[in-house]
Amino acid sequence: MKIKQAVKKKLNDKILYTNLKNFASNYKLSRQNALSGLDFLKLRNDIYKSKDFSKEEILALFEEFKQHVEKSGCTVLHAEDGLAANRLITQICKKHNAEYVVKSKSMTSEEIKLNHYLEKQGLKPIETDLGEWILQIAGEHPSHMVMPAIHKTRQQVAKIFEKHTGEKIDPDDIDKMVKIARKYLREYYFKATVGITGANIAVASTGTIGIVTNEGNARLSSTVPPVHIVLVGYEKLVKNFSDAMKIIRLLPKSATGQNISTYVTWIKGSNPSFKSDTGNKHTYYIFLDNGRLSFFEHPFLKDALKCIRCGSCANVCPAYEMVGGHVFGDIYIGAIGLILTSMLHDEKKAKEILTLCIGCKACSFNCPAGIDLQSIISDLNVYMGKKYFINPVKKFVYSAVMKNPSVFKTAMKAAAFIQKPMLTETKENLKNLPYIPKEHNFRKLPSIKTKTFSELFKEKKLDEFKSSKKVFFYPGCAVEYFFPEIGVSMVELLQKTGYQVDIPKTQVCCGLPAIHAGDGQSGKKTILKNIKYMGNPDEYEAFLVLCPSCGMAIKEDFKKYTLDYIAEFKKSEKIGKKVMSFANFLKIQNIGFQCDGNIKYTYHTPCHQGRGLGFMPEEFLKEIFGQNFIPLKDSDVCCGFGGSFSVDYPGISSGILDKKIENILNTKADCLLTDCPGCIMQIDGGLKQKGINVKVKHLSQILNDLKMIKN
Amino acid sequence: MTNTEALLEKFIEKAETEQTSCIKIDKEAFKNILREQNFDFVNLNTPFKSFNKGCEFDEAGIKNAIVGADFAIAETGTSVIDSTDEKIRLATTLAENLFIALHSSNIVAKLENIVSYMNEKNSADNAYLAFITGPSRTADIERVLTIGVHGPVSLTCYIIQDL
Repeated sequence: MKIKQAVKKKLNDKILYTNLKNFASNYKLSRQNALSGLDFLKLRNDIYKSKDFSKEEILALFEEFKQHVEKSGCTVLHAEDGLAANRLITQICKKHNAEYVVKSKSMTSEEIKLNHYLEKQGLKPIETDLGEWILQIAGEHPSHMVMPAIHKTRQQVAKIFEKHTGEKIDPDDIDKMVKIARKYLREYYFKATVGITGANIAVASTGTIGIVTNEGNARLSSTVPPVHIVLVGYEKLVKNFSDAMKIIRLLPKSATGQNISTYVTWIKGSNPSFKSDTGNKHTYYIFLDNGRLSFFEHPFLKDALKCIRCGSCANVCPAYEMVGGHVFGDIYIGAIGLILTSMLHDEKKAKEILTLCIGCKACSFNCPAGIDLQSIISDLNVYMGKKYFINPVKKFVYSAVMKNPSVFKTAMKAAAFIQKPMLTETKENLKNLPYIPKEHNFRKLPSIKTKTFSELFKEKKLDEFKSSKKVFFYPGCAVEYFFPEIGVSMVELLQKTGYQVDIPKTQVCCGLPAIHAGDGQSGKKTILKNIKYMGNPDEYEAFLVLCPSCGMAIKEDFKKYTLDYIAEFKKSEKIGKKVMSFANFLKIQNIGFQCDGNIKYTYHTPCHQGRGLGFMPEEFLKEIFGQNFIPLKDSDVCCGFGGSFSVDYPGISSGILDKKIENILNTKADCLLTDCPGCIMQIDGGLKQKGINVKVKHLSQILNDLKMIKN
Repeated sequence: MTNTEALLEKFIEKAETEQTSCIKIDKEAFKNILREQNFDFVNLNTPFKSFNKGCEFDEAGIKNAIVGADFAIAETGTSVIDSTDEKIRLATTLAENLFIALHSSNIVAKLENIVSYMNEKNSADNAYLAFITGPSRTADIERVLTIGVHGPVSLTCYIIQDL
C-alpha cells in the first residue's frame, strides 16, 4: 500500500504539522470575521444556482463569450485534453518566437503539467506567484490550491533562495526574501514574450475574464509581454457580472479569510500593448475540456464543476491538516481534489486517496459554492468499490455479518465471550491488545457488553410503559452492543416525561459503515432490512437517535438507497422528516433541567450532529449548567473516529484526537459531554490511554440524573 | 449622517483594514498636493487634467504614480480603475508607491452596484478594469503577511470632497 507509507512519512513531518495546525486555527477565525453579518447560506446557494448548467447551456455560454472577444481580434480555441492544450500553447509561443514565458498562478496549468511540456519544447516558463516560484525552483508541486508552499518553513525557503541566487539569506527576514523575489522576477516580465494566466471567472455576456490575486503578478503577466494566453476550464463560465460579483464576494473570504483580494482584474479582448508589433496585444483563449464537458451531464459529479477553486475544503479538513496536499490529493487537493482526481486524472490514484476522507462533512458545510463534497466522495467510494473490489475482510463483515442481524448478534456475543481475559478491572474497556501494531493502541477500546440494549430494554420492563404520546428510538449498533446503558438512561428519562418509547423488533445496522467503505450493495440491503423493522412513522411524534451518524444515514441515505423501492422510499421520506437527536427533542418539548453541583462540563459536537441533524445543543447546555459550562474550542471539528477510518489510518485518527484532547484540557472541565457513541469510543478511549482524568459521558446519561423542569 | 457620508466612512474603514491610507481632502488642497508632490506619472480627469503627465516604463519601475478611480466600493474598500490605457496599467503595477484619487460621490455600497458600470465598460470591444484594494501582498512564506510583492508597497487614497 503506497498510500499508507506516504501517510506515515507525512505524519512524521513536524514542520508540516505545525504549519497546517496554525493555519487551520487562524483560518477559521479570519473566515468567521470576513463572513460576519452576511447570510452565508443564501450567498452560497446563489452561487450554486448561478453555476447550475447543462452541457448545452455551457456550450452556449462559450459561444457567447467567444463572439465577444473575437471582435477585437482574439483567438478562442477548444482543447480536447491536456496534451491538446499543451500543444496549442507551445504552437502560440513558437509562432511569436518566445523564449521566456511568465506565468501567473493557474491550477489548470498544473492539471495539464504545462511547465513540464513547455520545458521539453525548449521554452522557459517562469512562475511569478511567490509560492509557485519557490516550488518551481525547488522542483516541487503545490500542496494547496491557494497557498502552494504552505508546507515550507522560512528556513527551507531561505535555503532554496540561497541555492538559486547565490546570496546569503537570513531565514528570519521574510520581508527581505519577498523583496528578492520581487527584484529577481521583475526582469522576466520584460524578457518574456508570452504571459500565461488562468481565470477565476469568464463572463459570457461580455467576454470578460476575472482574475483574483494578491501579489499583482497576474496584472504584470497580462500587461507587459506582447502575447497573452488565457488557459481556462469551461466550468469557469458564468452568465453575467451579477453572478460574477457573487463569486468575488465569497471567493477571497473562503480562500484566505480576506474580505476581498488585493486585485480583481477584469480583461476583455485585445488591449493596447507597447511591446506588440501591431500595438495591440495578441490574445489567445484556450478553453480546456479534459472531460469536463461530459461531466456536465453526470448525475452526481456534475456539482463538482461548480467549484470556484477557493481551496477551503482543505482548510477545514481534519485529515488534510494531518498529511497535507501532497498526500491528500494529487494535483488538485483537499476534498475537491479527491473528486477532481477521479474525474480528470488517474482513477486508480483517485481510488487510493478517496479512502483519506473521514466523512466528517466539514467541507460540505464550508463550501462557498454549496457543493456537498462529502456526499460525492461517498458516491465515488461506492463506485470504486463496485468497479474494483473492497478489502475482502470488510466485504465479509458488511455483506455476511452486519447485514444479517442474527449472524451479527451471534458474532458480537461470541466476541463478548472471547474478550473476557482482556477486560480491564471495570469491565468497561479492553486492555491494550497484544499482537497489534503500536499505532493502533492510541485508545482503550470499549468492551462489548454481555447484555445488549434490546435485552436490557425487556429485562428492565421498559417495554411495558404505555402512553398515547409515542416516540420511536433507533439505538444503532454502538448503543446496542457497546453502550446499552446510554440507551437505557434515555428511555428512562423519556418515560419520566410521559412518553412511550418503542424500539425496532430487531436491531439492524443503519448501513452507513458499508456505504462509507464503498460497499454500496451491502449498504442498500442493510437499509431495506432496517426499514422493515422501523415503526410506522404515522404513529410517532419523533424518531430519536443517540448516534447522529445513524440519524444522518436515516435522514439522507435511506432515501438515496431506496429509490427503486416505492413503498420503502415513501416510508424513508416520512421517517427522515421525524429523525432528530435526543437533546433536540427535549428542547422542542420545552423540558429544562436544574443542576446544583459544581462539576464543570464542556461539549464536543459530533460531526453529524451539527452537520447532519442540524442541532447544536450548546445553548441548551448553557441554560442547564450556567457558569459551569465551558465551551470547547473547535467543538464541531471531528475527533478522528470516523468508524473504520480509525482502523485504516490510526496515525491520522490519533493525530486528530490529540488536537481534540488538547482543546478539552484547555477548558479545565471535569466532564466532556457529547452525543455520539463513536465519539465516546474515541475520546474516552484516548483520555484513558493517556491516563487523563476527564470523564466522557453521553448527554442522556447526565440529564437522567438531573432534576427535570417542565417549562 | 447622510448616505454619502455613511458610505464614505464605511469605505475608509474597510480600506484601512487593507493597509490603505485614506486622506479626505478638498479640491484646492488636492491641487496643491499635485503641485508639491513630484509624481512620476499622473492620470486624472477634470478638473485635474492639466496635471497629467506620462513617463517611460521599464523593469526598474517608477517611484510613484497617481491615477483617478471611476468608482469605489464601500463594502470592500476597493477602488475601481479603468486601466484599458496601457500606461495606467503599467503605472499602477510598477509604481513603488501608488496614489489613487476618487470623488466621495462615486462611492457605491456593494459589489453589485458596480455591475452596470462593468456592463457599460465591457460593451466596448476591449477593456481592462482593475479592482484595487490595498498594496500588493503575499502570505506565501509561512503565512506571514508581507506587503509589496510584484506591485506597489504602499497605497494612498485621496478622497476628494465633492466638487
